[in-house]
Amino acid sequence: MTVREIGTRQVSQIPAIEVEGVSKSFRLYRDVNYTLKERIINFRKRGYDLFWALKGIDLIVYKGETLGIIGPNGSGKSTLLRMMTRIMKPNEGRIQTHGTIAALLELGAGFHPDLTGRENIYLNASILGFKRQELEGIMDDIISFSELGPFIDNQVKNYSSGMYVRLGFSIAINLNPDILLIDEVLAVGDESFQTKCLNRIARMQQEGKTIVLVTHEANIAASICDRVLWLEKGVEKMLGGSYEVTEGYHEAMRMRPEGSEFGTREIVIEKVEILDGSGKKTTEFETGESILVRLHYDAHKPIDDPVFGFGFYNQMGFMVYGTNTRLRGIDIERVEGRGMIDFRISSMPILDGRYYVSVAAHTRDGMINYHWLDKLSYFDMHSPGKEEGYLAMECDITIVPE
Amino acid sequence: MKENLKRLFEYRELLFNLTRKEVKVKYKNSFLGFIWSLVTPLMMLVVFYVAFGVIFKLRAMDMKYYAFYLMAGILPWNFLSQTLTQGVASVVMNSDLVKKVYFPREVLPLSYLGSASFHFLLQEAMLIVFLLAFRVPLTPWIFMLPVLMLLEAVFIAGLTLLLSTLNVFFRDVQHFTEILLMAWFWMTPIVYPISQIRDNLPAWAAKLYMLNPMTHIVLMWQRITYNSPVNGPASYSMSPAGVIGTVACSLGLLIVGYVTFTRLEGRFAEFI
Repeated sequence: MTVREIGTRQVSQIPAIEVEGVSKSFRLYRDVNYTLKERIINFRKRGYDLFWALKGIDLIVYKGETLGIIGPNGSGKSTLLRMMTRIMKPNEGRIQTHGTIAALLELGAGFHPDLTGRENIYLNASILGFKRQELEGIMDDIISFSELGPFIDNQVKNYSSGMYVRLGFSIAINLNPDILLIDEVLAVGDESFQTKCLNRIARMQQEGKTIVLVTHEANIAASICDRVLWLEKGVEKMLGGSYEVTEGYHEAMRMRPEGSEFGTREIVIEKVEILDGSGKKTTEFETGESILVRLHYDAHKPIDDPVFGFGFYNQMGFMVYGTNTRLRGIDIERVEGRGMIDFRISSMPILDGRYYVSVAAHTRDGMINYHWLDKLSYFDMHSPGKEEGYLAMECDITIVPE
Repeated sequence: MKENLKRLFEYRELLFNLTRKEVKVKYKNSFLGFIWSLVTPLMMLVVFYVAFGVIFKLRAMDMKYYAFYLMAGILPWNFLSQTLTQGVASVVMNSDLVKKVYFPREVLPLSYLGSASFHFLLQEAMLIVFLLAFRVPLTPWIFMLPVLMLLEAVFIAGLTLLLSTLNVFFRDVQHFTEILLMAWFWMTPIVYPISQIRDNLPAWAAKLYMLNPMTHIVLMWQRITYNSPVNGPASYSMSPAGVIGTVACSLGLLIVGYVTFTRLEGRFAEFI
């Protein structure tokens, strides 16, 4: 058996799931004709648009590997997972799986409210395709993992949603399938149970089980998975080591600032330049370097007593720093026609990350905005990595042994 | 098709478990529980007996033991109507499962057939007990009961698979089924003897009437559970052509139903 190295774990090269050139389209009905009458009336109209949820996906998940699938909403992650479970068939290409599969697409799918927890375990396991004999040995494990105790013989309809979730997860994970498919379900359940599930997943990884995990939280994917597939609008954007892909994904998510502009446009800010100490245009800065934010304005008519300002925001949208001419005690009597304003910061004590820049021109009382460019430009900070957080501070460490 | 059947066989335990669930859940929170399974046909029997036996005096046509005649037909009819009303809507009703979990979908309608079979067997046992209690002679054909039940199950399975598939794409089917069942009931010799059809309908209409497979199935049930001379000579109720035709029709329907279902089940998850 050939073995290749992924991170610290060893993964075989025996395929567990083979996805070859898979495409899947959905018919998006403008108005679904559920009844015969509607069908006949609308017979000639093609009442749907073809929507390609996935296009030309090639992928091999190796035995013993944990693959994460990430992507924004509507990127086709769940569709791909559903096709792996055979709930849906691809329009083109084929998917082959080797070994028993248990899927956690929705916890407690297939529970019957009138049956007891124990009876539902039997029912649910057989829905997942497992036999009664396979269940006998692990019945106690399922019940103890679910922490339901005596409630296992109560009707499921009396369960709380947490109990529901615990039972569902406990069944799927204790059935010990060769392949476990998980879709966004780790987020439910309380924190202690979540930790328990993650520990259990780690154990399954050590036992050489194949796991496919769909999530839109790249951090979870990065911490659990060996490899990550990043989908974007139904096509593969990136496939590779979990760290590189999630980094790339983070990066791309940042590329879309929710920028906007608004104002009366009596003064127009035509251009914002981000320059370094020597006046060169750049977006890359080291901690401690100087920065120059330059505004080019154009006042179409004479404006009295305007205020110009700027602000830096982190990715969460919080202002890290901001100021304006009024706060700095600078009075601008009147502007007319073109001009520019420089804000110079001699040293930026900001740590790693991307920061967005907003600039604005408004009246002294701030009641009227002439022009406001919200987070339309950005710069990236780089720091040597000796500290965490947003701000660089001088820190001396003294160790005094007793 | 061979592969589909193999897959169904692999999931036999699910079929069994779903059937059991259906049986268990049906009367779960009712006081009488299982007894309902027997009370319902008995109530129907009383209603029809009063309406046709007492008010319309069908008894006057020399129908001894009219109540048993009614029972012999009502029970297999209920088997059909129970399965059909639940089975046709089964895929749509279990959309939660269909969208979230993979398993051969035919298990859903078939599990309703399974639970209806269970109730039907109970009811037939009750009928036999009544026959013995009232000292009505059993026919030697009574041993054909499992065979006939299998034949009817094949017929019902085919029809249910076909209609439940259509129901996914046209929800009209489940409403239509209700009306169909009502009309069909009266087109089948359950409350009145088949001789009425022979005597009162023109020849072509009677021929048309005999094209209904349920007519033959019910006639056979009447023949093996309770055979009344009023029902006409045995040759009329169990003509070889009728029996062979019904068997062929049932098998044909099952194949058509099964193939249609398995062909289209891949698209169920998108449609419901």
